[in-house]
Amino acid sequence: MLRLVIAVCAACAIAVLARAEEFTFTIGSPVAAQDFRAKVAAFVFRTQGCPDPAKSQIGATAEGLVKGVRRSVALNVQAMSKPGVYAVYQTWPAEGQWVVSLKGTCGEANAGAIVPIGPKGFIRESAKFFPRAATQVEIEASLKALSQSENKGENK
Amino acid sequence: MFTRHISRQLAAHLDGELAPPKAQQAEIHLRQCARCRAESEQVRQGMQIVEHLPLVEPPEAIWRSIEAALEARRPRQAQPFIRWRWAAVATAMLALSGAAYWRLAQPPGAQWEVLRLAGSPSVAGKAIRGAGRIGAGEWIETDARSRATVKVGEIGSVEIAPGTRVRVVTERPSEHRLALARGEIRATISAPPKLFFVDTAAGTAVDLGCEYALSADERGFGLLRVTKGWVSFQWKGVESLVPAGASCRTQPQAGPGIPYFDDAPESLKQALESFGFEKGGYDALGAILSESRVRDTLTLWHLLSRVEPSDRGRVFDRMAALTPVPAGVSREQALKLDSGTLQRWREELAWTW
Amino acid sequence: MVDLSGRELATEIIESCRSGDRDAFRALYDLYKDRVYSISLHFFHGDPAVASDVTQQVFLKLMTSIRQFRGDAEFSTWLYRLVVNVCMDAARQRKAEATTSDPSRMEAFAVRGSQEEDYARTQMANSVRAAVSALPPKFRIAVLLRYFDDLSYEQMAQALHCSMGTVASRLSRGHKILAERLRGAIGIKG
Repeated sequence: MLRLVIAVCAACAIAVLARAEEFTFTIGSPVAAQDFRAKVAAFVFRTQGCPDPAKSQIGATAEGLVKGVRRSVALNVQAMSKPGVYAVYQTWPAEGQWVVSLKGTCGEANAGAIVPIGPKGFIRESAKFFPRAATQVEIEASLKALSQSENKGENK
Repeated sequence: MFTRHISRQLAAHLDGELAPPKAQQAEIHLRQCARCRAESEQVRQGMQIVEHLPLVEPPEAIWRSIEAALEARRPRQAQPFIRWRWAAVATAMLALSGAAYWRLAQPPGAQWEVLRLAGSPSVAGKAIRGAGRIGAGEWIETDARSRATVKVGEIGSVEIAPGTRVRVVTERPSEHRLALARGEIRATISAPPKLFFVDTAAGTAVDLGCEYALSADERGFGLLRVTKGWVSFQWKGVESLVPAGASCRTQPQAGPGIPYFDDAPESLKQALESFGFEKGGYDALGAILSESRVRDTLTLWHLLSRVEPSDRGRVFDRMAALTPVPAGVSREQALKLDSGTLQRWREELAWTW
Repeated sequence: MVDLSGRELATEIIESCRSGDRDAFRALYDLYKDRVYSISLHFFHGDPAVASDVTQQVFLKLMTSIRQFRGDAEFSTWLYRLVVNVCMDAARQRKAEATTSDPSRMEAFAVRGSQEEDYARTQMANSVRAAVSALPPKFRIAVLLRYFDDLSYEQMAQALHCSMGTVASRLSRGHKILAERLRGAIGIKG
């Protein structure tokens, strides 16, 4: 019985520690960056749960479907004045449907996100977040969903 | 099938750039060809070698030279004015005092208000005690213990730091131009792009603002709608931060209203209209609170300082229900409108706007 | 009231630059400056003066010709086409391919670490840069483009005005030459 109690307590402690150290992304519109350089960004994002944001590794790609052809554009996220805050500028083509795939590492922790881009900008409600980089399957699914919703005129 | 050597495709193979059928053929060939295997290894080593090249940040001087070059290419509408101005001053020094002659020769325009913040700032050589005015051609100067604020026409203000010397060059509605001889200024401008300029010995700072539309009727009532970036609209200590996708009504002698997102529920917008610039009624406030979404914390945050003190708690509670209150923000301090607390909260809320 | 329609937001930063928005241009400059400068620096044998000139030229051309960007190519491809053109034009004008035996012209790289590590790293970087500088210009620019910006072969083909096969060939030959030249320097065996 005592061993069971100890095991449960240990599991709880691990869960608490894990939650405290969870490395995640948050996305926002340019005003959230509090940095004039973000004024023309497509969107900004920040990392949370990383003890030293300056040491986190961040990457982004724009994944798109242009006239039925699958495209991928490496993006250069711009670090803002606040540590852990980054801006993404649209350097992918205007036509087609696009999502931005974010990925990051902080020590052993990983995080990922897929941010759909609509005619009016990033679609916050449709963004997806992961404790790892998004998979190709997940990216394709987001592109498909975006394409379908645009066909229905939902994002206008 | 690659029957000949694949030397020229090795990099593409290593980079995964060969189409699947060709990639497969390359694999098969490499298994059978020692020469291509050896060369592939060399190409791979070469790719590793290049990784020793550092990414080098360019000196800031490059940006300054680019800016200077771009500036030099711009048609300088103001230049004839400046040349004329110096010529007029030279003439004035022979006949009359330069400043007086220059001011007489200028098209009529409003002078800018100057407020003393600390110490003894001087305008046109004379110390100001509370408030003063400054016109084109005049200097404002602060010593090590002085600070001042210049209200730049109707488009914003410039804070003058200690140890600063700055001159108003032009104060026309279409061009507000300062010349900074030394020191530091901080400008808060709410204006369309390219209305506010600061000349320095190294070049010109141009405030481009953001993209927004501003309308006003004959009485002066208006609407600010921001489509890019954000605009801080201020009037006598009242400030509204209006991000892209949001609007804000403006009113003479009252400044900016409470901003709202253009996609906010109509019921919220109508309630906000009823609430107006006065600290409006209970019903209007109730509707604003009940109709607000997470994103409408933009509106609620501004509302906090605009409602009656007795209503602040309702606004706070609604905001707390919509989105978690960040650490370091207490209800008590927020209801007291503690500036640090409200600033921290706004920075966090901005991630939902 | 201006009402932005759907497609306008898609090229916002480009449009902002087109309308002379200096903030937007500065943002664009900040995005690409390190890579453009690094490519220029290593292309021109570590000469910071030439690299600065080239970088300035690239961004000035970018700003003055941005109206010609039609959006039918990715922006980075279009930018790197400018980089290639400016580098190759400057190389033709300079003609003489300076060797890297003039240490006074080399950019000093700040490297963190112990003194020994600093020295070793700097020596390695110098050796690599010398070898890269000795590559024929067409190989050199291809190697630098691939490394510093990780462009796809399709994008590189557009930037270099050649076919993807030619891109592959230049990269294969360029990297092979580097391995042969630095075999002894970096202890590659075999």
